[in-house]
Amino acid sequence: MRRTLAFVLVLLMVFSMAACSSPAGKSKKSESEWEIVVVPKDASNPWFIRMEVGVKEFAKETGLNVYQKGTPEIDATLQSQLIQDLIAAKVDAICVVPVDPGSLEPVLKQARDAGIVVIAHEGASLKNVDYDIEAFNNEQYGAFIMDNLAEAMGEEGLYTTMVAHVTNASHNEWADGGVKHQKEKYPNMKLLEEEPRVESEDNGDVAYQKAKELFKKYPDLKGIMGTSSYDAPGIARAIQELGLVGKAFTSGTGMPAANAELLKSGIVKSLTLWDPALAGKAMCALAVKVLRGEEIKDHLDLSVEGYTDLTFKEGSTTVLEGKGWIVITAENVDSFGF
Amino acid sequence: MKLQIKNISTAIKDIHIKRLLVIMVLWMIFMGIFRFDKFYTLINFQTMAAQFPEFGLMALGIMLCMISGGIDLSVVGVANFVAIASGQLLKIIAGGAGELNGFEILLVMLFGMAIGLAAGFFNGILVSKVKIPPILATLGSYELFRGIAIILTGGKAVSGLPIKYAETIAGKLFGLIPVQLLFFAAVVLILSYLLNRTTYGIKLYMLGTNATAAMFSGHRTERVLIQTYALSGICAALGGLIMLANYNSARADYGAVYTLQCVLIVVLGGVNPMGGKGRISGTVLAICVLQMLSSGINRFPEISSFYIPLFWGGVLLLVMVLNYYRENKQSQGGHKKAVISKYRIWVRKSG
Repeated sequence: MRRTLAFVLVLLMVFSMAACSSPAGKSKKSESEWEIVVVPKDASNPWFIRMEVGVKEFAKETGLNVYQKGTPEIDATLQSQLIQDLIAAKVDAICVVPVDPGSLEPVLKQARDAGIVVIAHEGASLKNVDYDIEAFNNEQYGAFIMDNLAEAMGEEGLYTTMVAHVTNASHNEWADGGVKHQKEKYPNMKLLEEEPRVESEDNGDVAYQKAKELFKKYPDLKGIMGTSSYDAPGIARAIQELGLVGKAFTSGTGMPAANAELLKSGIVKSLTLWDPALAGKAMCALAVKVLRGEEIKDHLDLSVEGYTDLTFKEGSTTVLEGKGWIVITAENVDSFGF
Repeated sequence: MKLQIKNISTAIKDIHIKRLLVIMVLWMIFMGIFRFDKFYTLINFQTMAAQFPEFGLMALGIMLCMISGGIDLSVVGVANFVAIASGQLLKIIAGGAGELNGFEILLVMLFGMAIGLAAGFFNGILVSKVKIPPILATLGSYELFRGIAIILTGGKAVSGLPIKYAETIAGKLFGLIPVQLLFFAAVVLILSYLLNRTTYGIKLYMLGTNATAAMFSGHRTERVLIQTYALSGICAALGGLIMLANYNSARADYGAVYTLQCVLIVVLGGVNPMGGKGRISGTVLAICVLQMLSSGINRFPEISSFYIPLFWGGVLLLVMVLNYYRENKQSQGGHKKAVISKYRIWVRKSG
């Protein structure tokens, strides 16, 4: 008991002595002294390794002290503690891709109270941020998928849309955006009215079964627009198995490495995605702008591909939307590393 | 004061504590040389002191179980379960207005601790009455508590809590000392009293050293085991209540990495995984060292996070290997001496 008490006392003394020895002062730093840290969901996920490529590129181009620091595992508590440590280290800006937005609010509030600039990505619901960057507006991304599908289909024929679940907000916004875009731009294409939206349940096998069923039931069906990253690969399997390669088409979100074979064999001409490297770069660029005190307004140009004309999301003063989509084809599929 | 110094000196003689003190001093010097201005600041020490209580409390629970010769792998499950249930209760009490007074916060904390007590009691029954090996019993109950937590929340986070709770528990006393640290210090004091000054403590160490002997000495070993796991449950519950305040939300999968981290702390702190040995001061010191190491590493952007699991896993195994050799050498040495002295007696008799 006494022993422990003494230990606690000794520790307290050490801690407090150390604590008192340095005055906490905040001086106006020059740009070369800035420290900008990107905190991804974790360090080892290929998606965020790709993000670090962009962050490193940004550091090299600008010569600023910008780096990415992730936790060893995807864990909301670890991420929160890492940010607390960064606040204690008095960094100047934190760019974060939240694991669980809700759990980060208190610590991001601490960061902002300490005068640190907070930029988020894929955290549109966050309140305690300076700005949040989204790669794109959902409707416009849907239109982009539609462009790719239309190109494959020769801009004519019957098509339908596939989402993970009809309750999934973003997938349905993409699909709606795609359909709207087709009506405006591709008059020779037609939405399958009997089944305008099918569900893949975020599962490659279900997507495959559904697609097979659809192509058999509607021989005129020429294309399916996928949204979830399981849709297009599943549909492609069905196209291949039914011997419809070159007759039926699909496009949609897809990860490069997992779909390299599909693209190279020509079953799928193109998939769509956003590049985490560019998103990372955009976050850093925005952080620098905020640190410099530049005004952030509509049509913001971050000089990063796809993020040259950012606009605020309707009704929001923090969420900025870019046009950060990319198309993945047989030619560039191996260049991403994820 | 004299007595305290004497106690410190005996504690320092403990090889584990000596080892930890050396690591701590070396690390503090290292940080002092390379990152003085980033490490030795008031805010950094406040941050560290606010971070370790949540897993430190869980580690204290595991320590108790390990002294008894068992282990409690369900602490994170208990903590999340408690955080979720208490969070939901907080929302009900506060209602739409989000108003909360001190008494209500105390009530919610007691509610959370009662759940932790019940969960720990359940573990204790599994281990002592049903006689399931502790590692399996608590791994199973971890899944059980996690399952309940997922059902309670539907897998989502409990958020939108009255901010008063987080402000109180995750606040700072006099704007200086993190409140979380006070909870941790209080539990450390209570546990060290229980371990060193009560018959419960003596029975616990005896049980861990030799369960059969303890039973034949007339101890009600089952009761001691149930008490131990119940205490661990309360510690985990407090950890969960602090997590609830720190993140102002609760979810079934928060703190998944804490289980291994806590086992690492306890072993590093010199508690014998076979039971019967271990000091609370060693565990507290190990918690501080681990926190300093992890916060310190975060000051070096050059060190990739890829190496951290490798580092922790390596340290855990290395410490256990070192302990094994040290103890083996001692006991072998002892055995040799005994054989030699027997031989001498035999030689003398026959000669």
